[in-house]
Amino acid sequence: MYGSLDISVSGMIAQRVRHETAAANIAGKDAYLDSSGVNPYRARRALFAVGDPSAKTVAGRQLGVHVAEIQIDQNAVRWKYDPSNPHAEKSGPRMGHILVPDINDVVEKTNSMEAQRAYEANIVAAEATKSMMAQALRLLA
Amino acid sequence: MFIGDVVNSGAIPSLELTLRFAGERHRLIAHNIANWTTPNFQPVDVSPAGFQRALSGAIERRREQPGGGSGELSLHGSRELSRLPGGRLVLTPRTPSAGILGHDRNNTEPERLVQDLAENYGVYRVASDLLRSRLQQLRDAIAERV
Repeated sequence: MYGSLDISVSGMIAQRVRHETAAANIAGKDAYLDSSGVNPYRARRALFAVGDPSAKTVAGRQLGVHVAEIQIDQNAVRWKYDPSNPHAEKSGPRMGHILVPDINDVVEKTNSMEAQRAYEANIVAAEATKSMMAQALRLLA
Repeated sequence: MFIGDVVNSGAIPSLELTLRFAGERHRLIAHNIANWTTPNFQPVDVSPAGFQRALSGAIERRREQPGGGSGELSLHGSRELSRLPGGRLVLTPRTPSAGILGHDRNNTEPERLVQDLAENYGVYRVASDLLRSRLQQLRDAIAERV
């Protein structure tokens, strides 16, 4: 039964990370300079895999889910014509263009909503586990 | 010996096995829910009907023995079910090929997961309530309150 809680918590953690990546993508959708001050922000994607290496129990490690990688989508950029921008290309065929993140609000919001629903489903499973534990403890009372 | 006979009499062993099965199956359902959005994930489960058949067979075998109302239940193992010497049930889940395969090659159906969760929780709750009432009867008998 304790393994069940580990499993549900692993699902909640994974969905929270996914939600955070969606939030970061929405926040950074207009950031044409990343933290290094050179490149535009690139979309993040949380990639899930089965199993939870951080679980306390063997059962929890075999089952559950974890974030295997937060992938940075190098292709999620596009050229935007913005000649007044000080970082726009000064010469060449892309003159006056600036590289900006190619992030779709609708996709990110959908990902965010799906993560929220999946998080809630994991909470329901954890609540059921807690109720079952309480039922088992009542046998002793 | 006497205590063992009392505890293994009537419906208590079958209720205990039902509790063990529902507890183990709950882990599988929680696993499926946790991986609801994991790419390439195929949900796993065991058949409650298969467990009920195995339990029914064990009860029948016990009934055929002398003094059939009591004694341990010998659950015959199957492809999905096995029992360790300590009494622990080990489930070997299968991968049912139900559900529409999504773009991420995950065929989990959230509605089915919640249904399984609710049904399994219901089974656990009924079995634990019944077991509690049996244990209360034993307590009353020991305390001479009957």
